[in-house]
Amino acid sequence: MTSYSLFLGCTIPARQPNYELSARKALTKLGVDLVDLANMTCCCPPPIQSIDMVTSLAVAASNISVAEAADLDILTLCSGCFESLAMANTLLRGDNKLRKKINDILSKAGKEFRGSIQVKHLVQVLKEDIGFERLKQSVARPLNNLKVAAFYGCHALRPSNLLKLDDPERPSILENLIEALGAENVVYRNKLKCCGGLLRGSSDELALALAREKVLNATKAGADCISTLCPFCFVALDIGQVQMKRKFEETYDMPIIHYSELLAIALGFDPKSLAPDIHRIKLDKVLSKIM
Amino acid sequence: MEPANSGTTLTQEFSIKVSDHMGGETLKHCYQCGTCVSSCPVAKATSSFNPRELIKLALMGAEEEILSGESIWLCCSCYNCQERCPQKVEIADIFYALRNIALKKGYIPSMYSQFSTALLDVGRVVAISKFVENKRVTHGLPPLQEVGIDNLRKILQATGFVKLEEKEEE
Amino acid sequence: MSETKIGVFISDDGKQLSKILDFNALTEFSKQIPGVVRVETKSEFWRQEGLETITEAIRQGKINRVVIAETQPKVSEIKIVQAVENAGLNPYLVEFVDLKDHCASPHRATPAEATEKAKAMLLAAIERAKLLEPLKKLEFPVLKSTLIIGGGIAGMQTAVDLADLGFKVNLVEKEPFLGGLAARAGRFFPTDDCAICIQSPASDVKTITHTSRKCVYRSGLSEIPNLNMYTNSKVMDVKGAPGNYKVTIEKKPRFVDEEKCVRCDLCVAACPVEVPDEYNAKLNTRKAIYINTPNVHPPVYVIDESVCRFHDCAKCVDVCPTNAVNLEQKSEQVTLNVGSIVVATGFQEFDSSIIKEYHYKEYPNVITNLELARMIDGFGPTGGAILRPSDLKPAKKIVMIQCVGSRDKRYNSYCSSVCCMISLKHAMLIKSTSPNADITICYIDIRTTGREHEHYYENAREMGIKFVKGRPAEILEDSEANRLVVDVEDSLLNRVIELKADLVVLAPAMIPAEGSVELAEMLGIKLDEDGFFKEYNAKLRPTETKLRGIYLSGGATFPKDAPSTSLHAHSAALKSAKFLMNGKIIKDQKTAIINDEYCGDCQFCPVTCPYGAISLEKTTEDHFVAKVSDLLCEGCGICVGTCPLNAIELRHSRPTQMRAQMKALMSVNSTSKPLVLAICCSECGHTAVDSSGMAMMQYPANVRVMRVPCTGILQVHQLLEAFRFGAQGVMVVGCKNDGCHYEEGSQNARQKIETSKVLLREFGVEPERLEMFNMVFIEGDKFAEAAQMMTERVKKLGRLKITGAN
Repeated sequence: MTSYSLFLGCTIPARQPNYELSARKALTKLGVDLVDLANMTCCCPPPIQSIDMVTSLAVAASNISVAEAADLDILTLCSGCFESLAMANTLLRGDNKLRKKINDILSKAGKEFRGSIQVKHLVQVLKEDIGFERLKQSVARPLNNLKVAAFYGCHALRPSNLLKLDDPERPSILENLIEALGAENVVYRNKLKCCGGLLRGSSDELALALAREKVLNATKAGADCISTLCPFCFVALDIGQVQMKRKFEETYDMPIIHYSELLAIALGFDPKSLAPDIHRIKLDKVLSKIM
Repeated sequence: MEPANSGTTLTQEFSIKVSDHMGGETLKHCYQCGTCVSSCPVAKATSSFNPRELIKLALMGAEEEILSGESIWLCCSCYNCQERCPQKVEIADIFYALRNIALKKGYIPSMYSQFSTALLDVGRVVAISKFVENKRVTHGLPPLQEVGIDNLRKILQATGFVKLEEKEEE
Repeated sequence: MSETKIGVFISDDGKQLSKILDFNALTEFSKQIPGVVRVETKSEFWRQEGLETITEAIRQGKINRVVIAETQPKVSEIKIVQAVENAGLNPYLVEFVDLKDHCASPHRATPAEATEKAKAMLLAAIERAKLLEPLKKLEFPVLKSTLIIGGGIAGMQTAVDLADLGFKVNLVEKEPFLGGLAARAGRFFPTDDCAICIQSPASDVKTITHTSRKCVYRSGLSEIPNLNMYTNSKVMDVKGAPGNYKVTIEKKPRFVDEEKCVRCDLCVAACPVEVPDEYNAKLNTRKAIYINTPNVHPPVYVIDESVCRFHDCAKCVDVCPTNAVNLEQKSEQVTLNVGSIVVATGFQEFDSSIIKEYHYKEYPNVITNLELARMIDGFGPTGGAILRPSDLKPAKKIVMIQCVGSRDKRYNSYCSSVCCMISLKHAMLIKSTSPNADITICYIDIRTTGREHEHYYENAREMGIKFVKGRPAEILEDSEANRLVVDVEDSLLNRVIELKADLVVLAPAMIPAEGSVELAEMLGIKLDEDGFFKEYNAKLRPTETKLRGIYLSGGATFPKDAPSTSLHAHSAALKSAKFLMNGKIIKDQKTAIINDEYCGDCQFCPVTCPYGAISLEKTTEDHFVAKVSDLLCEGCGICVGTCPLNAIELRHSRPTQMRAQMKALMSVNSTSKPLVLAICCSECGHTAVDSSGMAMMQYPANVRVMRVPCTGILQVHQLLEAFRFGAQGVMVVGCKNDGCHYEEGSQNARQKIETSKVLLREFGVEPERLEMFNMVFIEGDKFAEAAQMMTERVKKLGRLKITGAN
């Protein structure tokens, strides 16, 4: 049984129990052991990187060192955490000068980055440790050709030379994972384009414009829902939709659902046990199609 | 177009400052092809953000204009530009560098000061209220582990983050 | 060995040097050195009576070694050495010293010390002269025949030039037809005449007009008696050495007899097999038996054996009126013996499908310039109509994208130089037949540098072709409107625009031809960092490679337009002709020689020799010794510097000779000043010393200069020995790292210096006493600076104490 240090980050425990619940249940059922280590702080994602890059690298390295001490690879759910930690991991492993600089800082807290573990995203673990075939076989409730618009978000894939999760122009992990659940992968315009999530709070107008484009494109392509990998994307598209409707005086009804939620449902878990109330755009249509 | 004596002095110092900063090392490779602009979701949505223009301004040394402006805060960090740049200019990282430099000079958007306060107080950028923590039991989720705030503060002290935050407070 | 009788001749350079150097002292000093039988001074020795003095002494048998201090020895030595040889003495028994630029000029402020240095220089020359050996001039036969690899416009031009000059020429082309890339191009800028015309090499000028415009099929290429053409053939193996190569060609079967075919086309009509036509960018189909376009050469059909049904069909055999189709034809192996080889393999388009955001090969309406050229060509698959490949409807809105894979650090960082003009040409050709076509070119820079090229660009703007300064990020498909959409920022307008297009034409980078890596390895020549064949020196020795006898013609060195290719091809022919014309190669025997007894078959030297001159010969079951080919050896001595067992020596720069020089240079020092030995390479280092003297720069006379062919010859123990002989400091002066005239010598030397520094430290000697400097001839100031710096450094470090040294 593979064990991972589960890195929750901040947004998921603060706002998205749906992501955490579905991920924990699904992974446990699939035989992945999740360990909650103490002394893991915020990963220091882009907002902190904007303040000071070195701080972000140092804190990320400190989090990694906690997992190193427990000899566990890290599994992240949030793409922002993935980017922050995986980027730090790759950079520090490859650059001795930078590593020394960061370790000098970490030594003040009695920590040391060794570069001995890997940082993985949820979809990586599903692909590498379980595999599409076994996943398919574990499905108890196939999703009845639910039309899913796969949305990676930005930070699961880019910067690709440091994250190395999948081909940044032609990724296929998420599409394969969706199809393994018996759902249909819908092709829609500009699927790899940013949802504007990180602009929320500082430039709301821009953020909504970007999110709106995504919702419209998915709707045009006939999708039943958009599948996300990141809590920021989720918020941008879900709560964002409510704000969009008001601002642009338009109607859309595109449910936003994390891949892990689809996974948990397909594995047989009761949707009601996955904190569905978090969703501002209700999942009724989606659930009626698959239940 | 601005008249010639509008006071923009173009110097080399700022471009050196940026390329010496972490993330800004590739600034001078840019040959202004504009691939970043047509890759950028924000640039396509608004004319107030043009990554190519910002890089050009940095190369020409327009320090005040860049650091005091709102443009650099409009990048959504999607990294599309960096993926596609034919000169491997690390555009998104350059914007991080410009933000870092701007912050050190005292130009801080309000949202960011909230993040840094939260990080120092509770070790998270988004505070988790007691209410939410208690709800975990209802959901059947394991309790949250300690973040180890003391060690975090030591690290933040060592990186100079604490000093920045204090500056923000002023 | 018979007694050495050394004659020392010191030139006073019109009585100028004696103003600074004490000539009496020099003469007295030289006279009392054992082995010296005559010392003379004159105004000059390299001309007139001065030269007579030397040759007379030789003829009378008075001297059998010559030491001569003359001005600018690198120039004067040619005349002197010739005269010595004519007088009956082996020309390799002459040693030169430059007392002007290496002594009197740079040390004119300190005449006493200059004189002392001059004594040391003369002593070093005398001691070395005692150890010189009479070397031979080697002669190697050269076959007056050549192989040209590649039958494009460059290969054809070089082939015809050499055939006209009387050499036997073999032209090998891997495709079934000649013409290369140019044949597909249709027209050549900036005159827009047909490419096939220009590719016809101008052969044997009967009248000016007779040769000016002739298509390949009218050029009489096939009728040149000493030009053999092998199409559908590949070079499989190359053995031998310059002047005498043995090349194995594989001639793939055409299945049609060239002597019988009458080009009636009946076989093509009868053939039932249809496949996408690669030549025409798969815009149409061709049969298994085919010809590319009506005006090819050779004018004979060829069968594609991968799709032909052979005897299950054989319809072509049935219909052929002259029984030209022969399905039994087999591959033939042909062996050619040639004196020189010319590589004319050209270049090809980069595979744009690697740049995924442009969707090449995914969206059928995204094509490349070469594919567009086929459409524009009247002989092409669409008869000249510009159509969308997806539905064959006319393409009205066309967007062209430049620099696809060029100027791109992710793929090819260079500019491919011809694509701007190609795209302009295509845009204008389309506009001239369809004035209502809407064409936009998206560019980073428009590069139109050649003659008439800027005018070409002006015409394009006049015709209403639009330009957007911006590189598109992506090509998207608008399935509703059934069109492509190009996202680009017009950076001059500061606006992101969406260009709608029926057809998007990419201008891909031009990259080296397929098989370049294998061919380079077969021939033993280098590729540059972009994979093109490396010219030895593009300014001084274009079309040459680092190996004699192998030349480069045309786009194989870098993408070129037609005029440049033509020039290059003629140049390659000239170089090859110069090499072949005497029927022999004459070389100095200043080559490396292996001491079989010491050779431990470690196999380092064959790998490090830049010229492939060293091979391993089996002596017993499990023992090899190295063997040097005098023909290939260039006399650099890198092998000497490499051998860990001192089993190799370089004639004329033997370790004994070098040691004698070193010792002598350090031995004359009555003022007990700290001496610095400067070991300089003949190409850049020693000439930099010359130029510092010529420019009247000054540096201390503590610095004593010694010359080696290449710094790569130096071994670690030699550098350490210099200190034992009395040097307080050692400076090694070589070519710059990317410019060593023997490829890697100066880089090897640097590694030796690093190792030596480590050892010096171990022995308790300050490692900074040993230093390497890289410079070129005109950097005489750099040499003077370095010499000054080293002198001051050793003065500061104080006297070096080594046991066993003085």
